[in-house]
Amino acid sequence: MALTDMTIIRRSMTARLFSTLTTILTVAVAVALMLVLLTMRDAGEKAFERGSGNMHILVSRDSSPMVSVLNGVFYANAPARPIAWREYEKLAAELPLEFAIPIQLGDSYRGLPVLATTPEFFSQFKPDPQVGWSLAQGRYFEKELEIVVGAAAARSSGLAIGDTIFVTHGVPRAAALGGEQPAAAEPHVHKEFPFKVVGILNPTGSAHDRALFMNLDSSWIMHAFDRMLVEDPRAPVPTVADLDERDRLITGIYLRVLTRPGQDASAALPQVYSMLRSDPSITAASPTDQIRQLFTIVSNIDQLFVAMAAVVMVSSGIAIMLALYNSMEQRRRQIAVLRVLGCSQGRIFGLVVTESAILGMLGAAAGVLAAFAGSTLVAGIMKQRLGLVIEPALPLELTLLVILATIALAAAAGIVPAAMAYRTPVVRNLRPIG
Amino acid sequence: MSDRPPPLSIRNLRFRYDATGAATPWVVDVAALDLNPGEQMLLTGGSGRGKSTLLNLIAGLMEPNEGQVLIAGQPVHSLRGAARDRFRGRTIGMIFQTFNLLHGFSAAENVMAALMFTDLPPREHRPRAEALLRHLGIDRPDADADRLSVGQQQRVAVARAVACEPALVLADEPTASLDPDNARAAIDLIQRICREKNAALLCVSHDPAMAQRFERTASFDQLGRNA
Repeated sequence: MALTDMTIIRRSMTARLFSTLTTILTVAVAVALMLVLLTMRDAGEKAFERGSGNMHILVSRDSSPMVSVLNGVFYANAPARPIAWREYEKLAAELPLEFAIPIQLGDSYRGLPVLATTPEFFSQFKPDPQVGWSLAQGRYFEKELEIVVGAAAARSSGLAIGDTIFVTHGVPRAAALGGEQPAAAEPHVHKEFPFKVVGILNPTGSAHDRALFMNLDSSWIMHAFDRMLVEDPRAPVPTVADLDERDRLITGIYLRVLTRPGQDASAALPQVYSMLRSDPSITAASPTDQIRQLFTIVSNIDQLFVAMAAVVMVSSGIAIMLALYNSMEQRRRQIAVLRVLGCSQGRIFGLVVTESAILGMLGAAAGVLAAFAGSTLVAGIMKQRLGLVIEPALPLELTLLVILATIALAAAAGIVPAAMAYRTPVVRNLRPIG
Repeated sequence: MSDRPPPLSIRNLRFRYDATGAATPWVVDVAALDLNPGEQMLLTGGSGRGKSTLLNLIAGLMEPNEGQVLIAGQPVHSLRGAARDRFRGRTIGMIFQTFNLLHGFSAAENVMAALMFTDLPPREHRPRAEALLRHLGIDRPDADADRLSVGQQQRVAVARAVACEPALVLADEPTASLDPDNARAAIDLIQRICREKNAALLCVSHDPAMAQRFERTASFDQLGRNA
């Protein structure tokens, strides 16, 4: 193999291995930071949008629409104030609705939220507007003491079809996004009610994936038993027949107003809204609006983060410039020799800029790997803490753009040391040392 | 006489460091100097007299105040920038007192570095470099040049100087860093290889003992027209 410009660049990089590696590392950190922030912003927005699916309005008794959405769609906390079943029935009967699905939150299994609802939750509500629910295994619940497990919940808990579990009354305060107290301060296990796992859901990419689902009667029976025990410590385990108005409580309603087939918007929506808002005891939230509002708040902060990442990128460019600048002192003789052998000043300049760009490219490549690992880590934390399911995949176009920008920045950073190399006085640097 | 232009032809070459100060004496002041193909000449003179400056002027690494240097018929200083560098790389070989090998490169790579800037197809670089090194007694062309003995490093430097088959080899104190035995061997080697390649050799040295080895010698001071 002939000696090429690439050989000279490679030798120059390996001759100062420590400096080369630390420079690459600096670039990698900057690139990874930038990619993770940009990816997470997009993926986060998508994940947030997915949870509310084809629901138009979320009704609850939470203190604000934002809290209502965080609790009712993202399982941040169990809402404190319930809605009576009678109220639900009245509301569902009066409004022009495609569906009104009652939900009740308040129980958990090993920290995973348990949502009690009706079979319509699976048949009519779609967590992603385009895609409905589907089962990976088994079936949906049909009667009391049957439970269906979300995809992420099944993965993290290891639950399988046929397993028997006991749910806990109360939700651990792991994510206090909603700012409201859980329904019960002291969680306790409902040991009298063994639930059988009958279905495992396919992933939906929404917060629902980390929840477990049972029917409302199951939840009501458990809470009726708690109530009865207070009155009589030897009370028998109740059945559906023993339930009364005090037990039939829900914490939210997923509403979808009647629409024309194939359309998501409805002319009746503003009217339904104003009707709901006329009742000051309930909170009617548009999940889409709330999520948009949340992102307006968050985007200011993440613009700041992206700006900071850009500053880190620029400082990594400065790191490349410094590394090469410092190396020039050691390389003056080599440059002078190459010039004597016939290398032009332009080619010397090109060698240094190319080396700089290669440092940027290697840093960018390492940064992409680190970003993938970082995104996976952040996605894991988001899932655990916030219930947000984020796909950690790096978008190809964005990744390529960041890589190209890094290489361009690195090449630009090489211009100053390249100019130094270009101007290296040949004769002076060929003299014997000393 | 052949029709080939002489490898080196100098006319009225003058150089001084401060070009504006008329009172500064000329460091280089050569009325005429010609070398024929394959001719070998020694220039002697004390240190700091301007011998190296003359070689740098010939190689086009410095600009003269006056006069002309023709290498193989080409006025060196009329070439600019990359064209002059390319011309130097193809026509002139240089040997230095401290060898100036490329650190971190093998012996063969040091020789190939001289071929990088020529028209020789890249696939022929390594065979030519290895053959040349073996011819000069280096049997491990892939050895790191820094790890070779001083004598071997000198041979690598000589191989590099003649690799592009130059018309002219300039040797600047090539034996000053060597002990007498190695110095003798080195100058033998340089003269032999230049003869084999039919390259003209202009060697400068402050060692008057070298004079007996050259058919043509001159004192650097005698070249000056005012001397």
